[in-house]
Amino acid sequence: MRSTVDMAPSAVVETPNVTDPSLYLQGIPHGRLAQLRAIGGLAWHPYEDGGFWAVTRHAEARYVSRNPELFSSAIGHTNLWDLEADALEARRSLIDTDAPDHTRLRRLVAGAFTPKNIRRWEQVVREITIELLDEFVVQGGGDWVDMVAAPMPIQVILTMLGVPIEDSNYLVELSNYLVEGTGDAQSIPPDAFGNTTELRLLPFNSPASHALFEYGEGMRQQRRHDPQDDLVSHLVQAEYEGERFSLSEYRNMFHLLVFAGNETTRTALSHGAMALAANPHEWRRVLDDPSMIESATEEILRWATPVMHMRRTATTDTELAGTEIAEGDKVVMWYASANRDEAVFEDPFRFDVGRADNEHFAFGGGGPHLCLGAFLARLEVTVLLEEMAKRSLCLEQTTEPVRARSNFVHGVLSVGMQPRSDR
Amino acid sequence: MSDNLVRVAVDQELCIGGGICEMLEPEVFELDDDVVISSVISNGLLPRNRAEVVVDRCPGQAIAIVEENLDKER
Repeated sequence: MRSTVDMAPSAVVETPNVTDPSLYLQGIPHGRLAQLRAIGGLAWHPYEDGGFWAVTRHAEARYVSRNPELFSSAIGHTNLWDLEADALEARRSLIDTDAPDHTRLRRLVAGAFTPKNIRRWEQVVREITIELLDEFVVQGGGDWVDMVAAPMPIQVILTMLGVPIEDSNYLVELSNYLVEGTGDAQSIPPDAFGNTTELRLLPFNSPASHALFEYGEGMRQQRRHDPQDDLVSHLVQAEYEGERFSLSEYRNMFHLLVFAGNETTRTALSHGAMALAANPHEWRRVLDDPSMIESATEEILRWATPVMHMRRTATTDTELAGTEIAEGDKVVMWYASANRDEAVFEDPFRFDVGRADNEHFAFGGGGPHLCLGAFLARLEVTVLLEEMAKRSLCLEQTTEPVRARSNFVHGVLSVGMQPRSDR
Repeated sequence: MSDNLVRVAVDQELCIGGGICEMLEPEVFELDDDVVISSVISNGLLPRNRAEVVVDRCPGQAIAIVEENLDKER
Protein backbone atom coordinates (compact mmCIF):
# COMPACT_ATOMS: atom_id res chain seq x y z
CA MET A 1 0.00 0.00 0.00
CA ARG A 2 3.02 2.28 0.04
CA SER A 3 2.29 5.15 -2.25
CA THR A 4 4.56 7.34 -4.27
CA VAL A 5 4.00 10.63 -5.99
CA ASP A 6 4.13 9.01 -9.41
CA MET A 7 1.21 6.71 -8.68
CA ALA A 8 -2.06 7.45 -10.41
CA PRO A 9 -3.55 10.58 -8.86
CA SER A 10 -5.95 9.73 -6.07
CA ALA A 11 -8.73 11.48 -8.00
CA VAL A 12 -9.12 8.37 -10.15
CA VAL A 13 -9.69 6.25 -7.05
CA GLU A 14 -13.30 6.24 -5.94
CA THR A 15 -13.23 8.19 -2.66
CA PRO A 16 -15.93 7.04 -0.25
CA ASN A 17 -17.86 10.03 1.08
CA VAL A 18 -17.49 10.57 4.83
CA THR A 19 -18.93 14.08 5.16
CA ASP A 20 -22.62 13.50 4.47
CA PRO A 21 -24.08 14.29 7.93
CA SER A 22 -26.93 11.83 7.48
CA LEU A 23 -24.42 8.94 7.47
CA TYR A 24 -23.70 9.72 11.10
CA LEU A 25 -27.29 9.04 12.16
CA GLN A 26 -26.22 5.38 11.99
CA GLY A 27 -22.90 6.03 13.73
CA ILE A 28 -19.41 6.78 12.46
CA PRO A 29 -19.01 5.33 8.91
CA HIS A 30 -16.11 3.15 10.02
CA GLY A 31 -16.21 1.00 6.88
CA ARG A 32 -15.67 4.03 4.66
CA LEU A 33 -12.96 5.43 6.92
CA ALA A 34 -11.18 2.05 6.82
CA GLN A 35 -11.29 2.25 3.00
CA LEU A 36 -9.71 5.70 3.18
CA ARG A 37 -7.00 4.43 5.53
CA ALA A 38 -6.20 1.68 3.06
CA ILE A 39 -5.68 4.09 0.15
CA GLY A 40 -1.98 4.79 -0.36
CA GLY A 41 -1.02 8.40 0.26
CA LEU A 42 -3.81 10.80 1.16
CA ALA A 43 -7.24 10.65 -0.41
CA TRP A 44 -8.69 13.78 -2.02
CA HIS A 45 -12.24 14.10 -0.71
CA PRO A 46 -14.65 16.35 -2.65
CA TYR A 47 -16.51 18.84 -0.49
CA GLU A 48 -18.91 21.57 -1.63
CA ASP A 49 -17.21 23.25 -4.62
CA GLY A 50 -13.71 22.12 -3.64
CA GLY A 51 -12.34 19.40 -1.45
CA PHE A 52 -9.78 18.43 1.16
CA TRP A 53 -7.02 15.93 1.82
CA ALA A 54 -8.43 13.26 4.13
CA VAL A 55 -5.83 12.33 6.74
CA THR A 56 -7.20 9.14 8.20
CA ARG A 57 -4.18 7.26 9.56
CA HIS A 58 -2.80 7.82 13.07
CA ALA A 59 0.78 8.54 12.00
CA GLU A 60 -0.16 11.27 9.54
CA ALA A 61 -2.80 12.87 11.79
CA ARG A 62 -0.08 13.06 14.44
CA TYR A 63 2.30 14.70 11.95
CA VAL A 64 -0.23 17.33 10.87
CA SER A 65 -1.11 18.10 14.50
CA ARG A 66 2.50 18.53 15.49
CA ASN A 67 3.60 20.69 12.57
CA PRO A 68 1.46 23.82 12.96
CA GLU A 69 3.90 25.92 10.94
CA LEU A 70 3.03 23.76 7.91
CA PHE A 71 -0.63 23.26 8.75
CA SER A 72 -2.32 26.42 10.02
CA SER A 73 -5.37 26.73 12.28
CA ALA A 74 -5.79 30.44 11.60
CA ILE A 75 -6.38 30.35 7.83
CA GLY A 76 -9.88 29.75 6.43
CA HIS A 77 -11.47 27.90 9.36
CA THR A 78 -10.87 24.77 11.43
CA ASN A 79 -14.14 23.31 10.15
CA LEU A 80 -14.58 21.91 6.65
CA TRP A 81 -16.03 25.08 5.14
CA ASP A 82 -14.26 28.43 4.84
CA LEU A 83 -15.54 31.48 6.68
CA GLU A 84 -15.46 34.94 5.18
CA ALA A 85 -12.65 37.04 6.63
CA ASP A 86 -14.85 39.23 8.85
CA ALA A 87 -16.76 36.23 10.19
CA LEU A 88 -13.53 34.39 10.96
CA GLU A 89 -12.26 37.43 12.87
CA ALA A 90 -15.48 37.86 14.86
CA ARG A 91 -15.65 34.14 15.71
CA ARG A 92 -11.96 33.49 16.25
CA SER A 93 -11.28 31.47 19.40
CA LEU A 94 -8.25 29.67 20.79
CA ILE A 95 -9.01 26.89 18.31
CA ASP A 96 -8.63 29.11 15.23
CA THR A 97 -5.29 30.75 16.04
CA ASP A 98 -1.63 30.06 15.36
CA ALA A 99 1.43 31.11 17.35
CA PRO A 100 2.13 33.72 18.64
CA ASP A 101 -1.56 34.65 19.24
CA HIS A 102 -2.35 31.09 20.21
CA THR A 103 0.51 30.89 22.69
CA ARG A 104 -0.58 34.13 24.34
CA LEU A 105 -4.27 33.15 24.57
CA ARG A 106 -3.48 29.66 25.78
CA ARG A 107 -1.11 30.87 28.49
CA LEU A 108 -3.84 33.25 29.72
CA VAL A 109 -6.21 30.39 30.45
CA ALA A 110 -4.15 27.19 30.69
CA GLY A 111 -3.15 27.64 34.33
CA ALA A 112 -6.70 26.75 35.36
CA PHE A 113 -6.54 23.42 33.50
CA THR A 114 -3.27 21.92 34.72
CA PRO A 115 -3.51 18.46 36.32
CA LYS A 116 -3.06 19.90 39.83
CA ASN A 117 -5.62 22.67 39.45
CA ILE A 118 -8.14 20.31 37.91
CA ARG A 119 -7.73 17.92 40.86
CA ARG A 120 -8.98 20.76 43.10
CA TRP A 121 -12.39 20.29 41.48
CA GLU A 122 -12.60 16.56 42.16
CA GLN A 123 -14.97 16.92 45.12
CA VAL A 124 -17.29 19.17 43.12
CA VAL A 125 -17.35 16.66 40.26
CA ARG A 126 -18.00 13.84 42.71
CA GLU A 127 -20.89 15.54 44.50
CA ILE A 128 -22.60 16.38 41.21
CA THR A 129 -22.06 12.83 39.94
CA ILE A 130 -23.38 11.21 43.14
CA GLU A 131 -26.56 13.24 43.03
CA LEU A 132 -27.25 12.42 39.38
CA LEU A 133 -26.39 8.72 39.68
CA ASP A 134 -28.49 8.28 42.82
CA GLU A 135 -31.46 9.87 41.08
CA PHE A 136 -30.89 7.65 38.03
CA VAL A 137 -30.98 4.55 40.25
CA VAL A 138 -34.01 5.72 42.26
CA GLN A 139 -35.92 6.37 39.05
CA GLY A 140 -34.97 2.93 37.74
CA GLY A 141 -33.19 4.47 34.77
CA GLY A 142 -34.37 6.56 31.85
CA ASP A 143 -32.65 8.70 29.25
CA TRP A 144 -28.96 8.50 30.17
CA VAL A 145 -28.12 11.67 28.25
CA ASP A 146 -30.80 13.71 30.02
CA MET A 147 -30.23 12.24 33.46
CA VAL A 148 -26.43 11.90 33.66
CA ALA A 149 -24.29 12.54 30.58
CA ALA A 150 -25.54 16.07 29.83
CA PRO A 151 -26.09 17.56 33.29
CA MET A 152 -22.85 16.33 34.86
CA PRO A 153 -20.30 18.18 32.71
CA ILE A 154 -22.44 21.30 32.30
CA GLN A 155 -22.96 21.61 36.05
CA VAL A 156 -19.23 21.14 36.56
CA ILE A 157 -18.14 23.79 34.04
CA LEU A 158 -20.75 26.28 35.23
CA THR A 159 -19.57 25.78 38.83
CA MET A 160 -15.98 26.28 37.72
CA LEU A 161 -16.85 29.44 35.77
CA GLY A 162 -18.75 30.79 38.77
CA VAL A 163 -22.19 30.98 37.12
CA PRO A 164 -24.80 31.36 39.91
CA ILE A 165 -26.91 28.26 40.36
CA GLU A 166 -30.14 30.11 39.51
CA ASP A 167 -28.79 30.89 36.02
CA SER A 168 -27.59 27.41 35.21
CA ASN A 169 -30.81 26.32 33.49
CA TYR A 170 -30.57 29.32 31.16
CA LEU A 171 -26.96 28.50 30.28
CA VAL A 172 -27.85 24.83 29.74
CA GLU A 173 -30.61 25.96 27.38
CA LEU A 174 -28.22 28.20 25.42
CA SER A 175 -25.65 25.47 25.28
CA ASN A 176 -28.17 23.00 23.91
CA TYR A 177 -29.05 25.42 21.10
CA LEU A 178 -25.36 25.59 20.25
CA VAL A 179 -25.17 21.80 20.03
CA GLU A 180 -28.09 22.03 17.62
CA GLY A 181 -26.09 24.61 15.64
CA THR A 182 -23.33 22.06 14.93
CA GLY A 183 -25.84 20.18 12.78
CA ASP A 184 -27.84 21.89 10.06
CA ALA A 185 -31.13 22.50 11.84
CA GLN A 186 -31.78 25.54 14.02
CA SER A 187 -35.02 25.54 15.94
CA ILE A 188 -34.83 29.19 17.02
CA PRO A 189 -35.32 32.30 14.82
CA PRO A 190 -32.35 34.57 13.97
CA ASP A 191 -33.61 37.29 16.31
CA ALA A 192 -33.99 34.98 19.32
CA PHE A 193 -32.57 36.36 22.59
CA GLY A 194 -32.72 39.88 21.12
CA ASN A 195 -29.98 39.06 18.62
CA THR A 196 -29.32 41.67 15.94
CA THR A 197 -25.93 40.32 14.76
CA GLU A 198 -25.74 38.61 11.38
CA LEU A 199 -25.72 34.88 12.11
CA ARG A 200 -22.61 34.24 10.01
CA LEU A 201 -20.65 36.36 12.49
CA LEU A 202 -21.69 34.16 15.43
CA PRO A 203 -20.19 30.81 16.46
CA PHE A 204 -22.29 27.93 15.06
CA ASN A 205 -24.36 30.59 13.24
CA SER A 206 -26.52 30.55 16.33
CA PRO A 207 -28.38 33.42 18.01
CA ALA A 208 -27.70 31.53 21.25
CA SER A 209 -24.07 32.57 20.79
CA HIS A 210 -25.15 36.21 21.00
CA ALA A 211 -26.94 35.47 24.29
CA LEU A 212 -23.90 33.66 25.62
CA PHE A 213 -21.62 36.55 24.66
CA GLU A 214 -23.95 38.94 26.50
CA TYR A 215 -24.07 36.74 29.57
CA GLY A 216 -20.29 36.34 29.60
CA GLU A 217 -19.86 40.11 29.28
CA GLY A 218 -22.18 40.70 32.25
CA MET A 219 -20.12 38.30 34.35
CA ARG A 220 -16.91 40.00 33.23
CA GLN A 221 -18.15 43.40 34.38
CA GLN A 222 -19.28 41.99 37.71
CA ARG A 223 -16.06 40.04 38.42
CA ARG A 224 -13.91 43.02 37.53
CA HIS A 225 -15.23 44.81 40.59
CA ASP A 226 -15.73 41.78 42.77
CA PRO A 227 -13.31 38.96 41.92
CA GLN A 228 -14.16 35.47 43.21
CA ASP A 229 -12.29 32.18 43.25
CA ASP A 230 -13.67 31.16 39.87
CA LEU A 231 -12.66 30.83 36.25
CA VAL A 232 -14.29 34.05 35.01
CA SER A 233 -12.35 36.04 37.64
CA HIS A 234 -9.23 34.19 36.50
CA LEU A 235 -9.90 35.20 32.88
CA VAL A 236 -10.57 38.80 33.86
CA GLN A 237 -7.34 39.06 35.83
CA ALA A 238 -5.12 36.85 33.66
CA GLU A 239 -2.10 38.57 32.29
CA TYR A 240 0.69 37.16 30.17
CA GLU A 241 3.70 39.31 29.45
CA GLY A 242 1.67 42.40 30.35
CA GLU A 243 -1.24 41.56 28.02
CA ARG A 244 -4.83 40.68 28.82
CA PHE A 245 -7.74 39.34 26.80
CA SER A 246 -9.36 41.74 24.35
CA LEU A 247 -13.17 41.86 24.60
CA SER A 248 -13.59 39.68 21.52
CA GLU A 249 -11.02 37.19 22.82
CA TYR A 250 -12.71 37.04 26.21
CA ARG A 251 -16.18 36.51 24.69
CA ASN A 252 -15.00 33.73 22.45
CA MET A 253 -13.08 32.12 25.31
CA PHE A 254 -16.12 32.20 27.60
CA HIS A 255 -18.19 30.76 24.76
CA LEU A 256 -15.64 28.03 24.06
CA LEU A 257 -15.47 27.01 27.72
CA VAL A 258 -19.25 26.74 28.03
CA PHE A 259 -19.65 24.86 24.78
CA ALA A 260 -16.65 22.55 25.01
CA GLY A 261 -17.30 21.94 28.70
CA ASN A 262 -20.78 20.77 27.82
CA GLU A 263 -20.88 18.98 24.50
CA THR A 264 -17.70 16.93 24.40
CA THR A 265 -17.76 15.27 27.80
CA ARG A 266 -21.47 14.61 27.37
CA THR A 267 -20.53 12.62 24.29
CA ALA A 268 -17.79 10.70 26.10
CA LEU A 269 -20.14 9.78 28.97
CA SER A 270 -22.86 8.69 26.53
CA HIS A 271 -20.65 6.47 24.39
CA GLY A 272 -18.92 5.23 27.55
CA ALA A 273 -22.22 4.05 29.01
CA MET A 274 -23.19 2.40 25.71
CA ALA A 275 -19.83 0.61 25.52
CA LEU A 276 -20.08 -0.63 29.12
CA ALA A 277 -23.65 -1.84 28.54
CA ALA A 278 -22.65 -3.63 25.33
CA ASN A 279 -19.56 -5.20 26.93
CA PRO A 280 -20.63 -6.33 30.42
CA HIS A 281 -17.56 -8.57 30.74
CA GLU A 282 -15.34 -5.50 30.31
CA TRP A 283 -17.21 -3.63 33.05
CA ARG A 284 -16.91 -6.78 35.18
CA ARG A 285 -13.11 -6.55 34.81
CA VAL A 286 -13.24 -3.01 36.21
CA LEU A 287 -15.54 -4.02 39.10
CA ASP A 288 -13.17 -6.88 39.97
CA ASP A 289 -10.13 -4.60 39.82
CA PRO A 290 -10.90 -0.88 40.22
CA SER A 291 -7.25 -0.05 39.48
CA MET A 292 -8.35 -0.53 35.86
CA ILE A 293 -10.44 2.66 35.99
CA GLU A 294 -7.51 4.66 34.65
CA SER A 295 -7.08 2.55 31.52
CA ALA A 296 -10.87 2.20 31.17
CA THR A 297 -11.13 6.00 31.12
CA GLU A 298 -8.63 6.22 28.26
CA GLU A 299 -10.42 3.44 26.36
CA ILE A 300 -13.77 5.24 26.73
CA LEU A 301 -12.14 8.39 25.35
CA ARG A 302 -10.71 6.46 22.38
CA TRP A 303 -14.03 4.72 21.83
CA ALA A 304 -16.10 7.91 22.00
CA THR A 305 -13.93 10.30 19.93
CA PRO A 306 -16.27 13.21 20.80
CA VAL A 307 -14.78 15.48 18.12
CA MET A 308 -14.42 13.46 14.94
CA HIS A 309 -12.17 15.73 12.90
CA MET A 310 -10.37 19.05 12.76
CA ARG A 311 -9.17 20.88 9.73
CA ARG A 312 -5.90 22.65 8.99
CA THR A 313 -4.80 24.63 5.93
CA ALA A 314 -1.39 24.16 4.30
CA THR A 315 0.79 27.26 4.65
CA THR A 316 3.17 26.15 1.91
CA ASP A 317 3.63 23.44 -0.73
CA THR A 318 4.53 20.31 1.17
CA GLU A 319 4.32 16.54 1.02
CA LEU A 320 2.73 13.97 3.29
CA ALA A 321 2.60 10.19 2.84
CA GLY A 322 3.96 10.66 -0.68
CA THR A 323 1.12 13.01 -1.59
CA GLU A 324 1.89 16.53 -2.75
CA ILE A 325 -0.08 19.17 -0.90
CA ALA A 326 -0.33 22.69 -2.32
CA GLU A 327 -0.29 25.89 -0.28
CA GLY A 328 -3.87 26.71 0.68
CA ASP A 329 -5.15 23.13 0.46
CA LYS A 330 -7.47 21.98 3.22
CA VAL A 331 -6.08 19.08 5.27
CA VAL A 332 -8.54 17.29 7.55
CA MET A 333 -7.45 15.02 10.39
CA TRP A 334 -10.04 12.34 11.01
CA TYR A 335 -9.55 11.48 14.68
CA ALA A 336 -12.47 9.06 14.44
CA SER A 337 -10.40 7.07 11.94
CA ALA A 338 -7.00 7.44 13.65
CA ASN A 339 -8.59 6.04 16.81
CA ARG A 340 -9.38 2.81 14.92
CA ASP A 341 -6.10 2.61 12.98
CA GLU A 342 -5.13 -1.05 12.90
CA ALA A 343 -1.47 -0.05 12.48
CA VAL A 344 -1.47 1.42 16.01
CA PHE A 345 -4.28 -0.24 17.97
CA GLU A 346 -4.39 -4.01 18.27
CA ASP A 347 -7.89 -5.21 17.48
CA PRO A 348 -9.11 -1.58 17.26
CA PHE A 349 -12.81 -2.40 17.17
CA ARG A 350 -12.60 -4.23 20.47
CA PHE A 351 -13.55 -2.19 23.55
CA ASP A 352 -10.76 -3.22 25.93
CA VAL A 353 -10.71 -1.54 29.36
CA GLY A 354 -7.18 -2.82 29.93
CA ARG A 355 -5.72 -1.50 26.69
CA ALA A 356 -2.09 -0.56 27.25
CA ASP A 357 -0.22 2.25 25.53
CA ASN A 358 -3.46 3.86 24.37
CA GLU A 359 -2.34 6.91 22.38
CA HIS A 360 -5.81 7.93 21.30
CA PHE A 361 -6.67 11.23 19.63
CA ALA A 362 -9.78 12.07 21.65
CA PHE A 363 -7.95 15.30 22.55
CA GLY A 364 -6.37 15.76 19.12
CA GLY A 365 -3.10 14.43 17.83
CA GLY A 366 -0.79 16.47 20.06
CA GLY A 367 0.84 19.76 19.20
CA PRO A 368 -0.11 23.16 20.57
CA HIS A 369 -3.87 22.69 20.11
CA LEU A 370 -4.07 19.70 22.42
CA CYS A 371 -7.47 19.90 24.13
CA LEU A 372 -7.30 22.41 26.97
CA GLY A 373 -9.90 20.50 28.97
CA ALA A 374 -8.24 17.09 28.65
CA PHE A 375 -7.59 16.64 32.38
CA LEU A 376 -11.06 17.88 33.30
CA ALA A 377 -12.63 15.42 30.86
CA ARG A 378 -10.48 12.60 32.25
CA LEU A 379 -11.51 13.52 35.80
CA GLU A 380 -15.20 13.53 34.87
CA VAL A 381 -15.06 10.11 33.19
CA THR A 382 -12.96 8.67 36.03
CA VAL A 383 -15.25 9.94 38.79
CA LEU A 384 -18.30 8.56 37.00
CA LEU A 385 -16.65 5.12 36.73
CA GLU A 386 -15.55 5.26 40.38
CA GLU A 387 -19.03 6.08 41.59
CA MET A 388 -20.60 3.42 39.38
CA ALA A 389 -18.06 0.88 40.68
CA LYS A 390 -18.79 1.81 44.33
CA ARG A 391 -22.44 0.98 43.69
CA SER A 392 -21.62 -2.12 41.59
CA LEU A 393 -23.90 -0.41 39.11
CA CYS A 394 -24.20 -2.19 35.78
CA LEU A 395 -26.02 -0.61 32.87
CA GLU A 396 -28.44 -2.17 30.47
CA GLN A 397 -29.31 -0.29 27.30
CA THR A 398 -33.06 -0.11 26.77
CA THR A 399 -33.39 1.94 23.57
CA GLU A 400 -31.42 2.58 20.41
CA PRO A 401 -29.43 5.80 20.65
CA VAL A 402 -30.63 8.88 18.75
CA ARG A 403 -27.46 10.29 17.24
CA ALA A 404 -26.60 13.82 16.19
CA ARG A 405 -26.79 14.52 12.46
CA SER A 406 -23.25 15.83 12.37
CA ASN A 407 -19.95 14.82 10.78
CA PHE A 408 -18.12 16.91 13.41
CA VAL A 409 -19.36 16.06 16.89
CA HIS A 410 -20.11 12.43 17.72
CA GLY A 411 -23.17 13.45 19.70
CA VAL A 412 -25.83 11.25 21.24
CA LEU A 413 -29.14 13.04 21.76
CA SER A 414 -30.73 10.31 23.83
CA VAL A 415 -30.23 6.68 24.82
CA GLY A 416 -32.24 4.68 27.32
CA MET A 417 -30.40 2.92 30.16
CA GLN A 418 -31.51 1.07 33.23
CA PRO A 419 -29.54 0.01 36.28
CA ARG A 420 -28.85 -3.66 36.82
CA SER A 421 -27.10 -4.47 40.05
CA ASP A 422 -25.98 -8.06 39.78
CA ARG A 423 -23.81 -8.49 42.79
CA MET B 1 19.11 -2.42 27.26
CA SER B 2 15.75 -0.70 27.37
CA ASP B 3 15.81 0.09 31.08
CA ASN B 4 19.17 1.86 31.26
CA LEU B 5 18.81 5.12 33.12
CA VAL B 6 18.86 8.31 31.08
CA ARG B 7 18.43 11.96 32.02
CA VAL B 8 15.60 14.02 30.53
CA ALA B 9 15.22 17.78 30.23
CA VAL B 10 12.46 20.19 29.19
CA ASP B 11 13.01 22.95 26.65
CA GLN B 12 10.84 25.62 28.26
CA GLU B 13 10.64 27.65 25.04
CA LEU B 14 8.89 24.73 23.33
CA CYS B 15 6.73 23.62 26.29
CA ILE B 16 3.02 24.27 25.68
CA GLY B 17 1.94 23.29 29.19
CA GLY B 18 -0.09 20.31 28.01
CA GLY B 19 0.67 18.39 31.20
CA ILE B 20 1.19 15.01 29.53
CA CYS B 21 4.66 14.62 31.13
CA GLU B 22 3.26 15.22 34.61
CA MET B 23 0.49 12.72 33.94
CA LEU B 24 2.92 10.04 32.73
CA GLU B 25 5.83 10.69 35.14
CA PRO B 26 4.65 12.76 38.11
CA GLU B 27 7.85 12.02 40.06
CA VAL B 28 9.97 13.67 37.39
CA PHE B 29 7.90 16.48 35.84
CA GLU B 30 5.76 19.19 37.32
CA LEU B 31 3.80 21.92 35.61
CA ASP B 32 4.07 25.33 37.20
CA ASP B 33 0.48 26.53 37.57
CA ASP B 34 1.30 30.20 37.12
CA VAL B 35 3.41 30.19 33.99
CA VAL B 36 2.09 26.78 32.83
CA ILE B 37 5.49 25.49 31.86
CA SER B 38 6.89 22.11 32.85
CA SER B 39 10.08 21.58 34.80
CA VAL B 40 12.08 18.57 35.91
CA ILE B 41 11.60 18.36 39.68
CA SER B 42 13.84 15.36 40.46
CA ASN B 43 17.28 14.39 39.27
CA GLY B 44 15.60 13.81 35.91
CA LEU B 45 16.49 10.14 35.70
CA LEU B 46 14.18 7.67 34.01
CA PRO B 47 14.56 4.20 32.55
CA ARG B 48 15.16 4.61 28.83
CA ASN B 49 11.91 2.94 27.73
CA ARG B 50 9.80 5.27 29.91
CA ALA B 51 11.84 8.31 28.87
CA GLU B 52 11.21 7.45 25.23
CA VAL B 53 7.44 7.32 25.80
CA VAL B 54 7.34 10.72 27.47
CA VAL B 55 9.60 12.25 24.78
CA ASP B 56 7.35 10.81 22.10
CA ARG B 57 4.07 11.91 23.71
CA CYS B 58 5.05 15.47 24.54
CA PRO B 59 2.71 17.60 22.40
CA GLY B 60 5.26 20.41 22.14
CA GLN B 61 8.22 18.13 21.34
CA ALA B 62 9.88 19.89 24.28
CA ILE B 63 11.37 16.93 26.13
CA ALA B 64 14.68 15.35 25.21
CA ILE B 65 17.04 12.73 26.55
CA VAL B 66 20.18 14.72 27.38
CA GLU B 67 22.42 12.06 28.96
CA GLU B 68 22.62 8.32 28.42
CA ASN B 69 23.73 5.29 30.43
CA LEU B 70 23.60 6.76 33.91
CA ASP B 71 23.09 3.50 35.77
CA LYS B 72 25.99 4.09 38.11
CA GLU B 73 24.27 7.19 39.53
CA ARG B 74 21.43 5.11 40.89
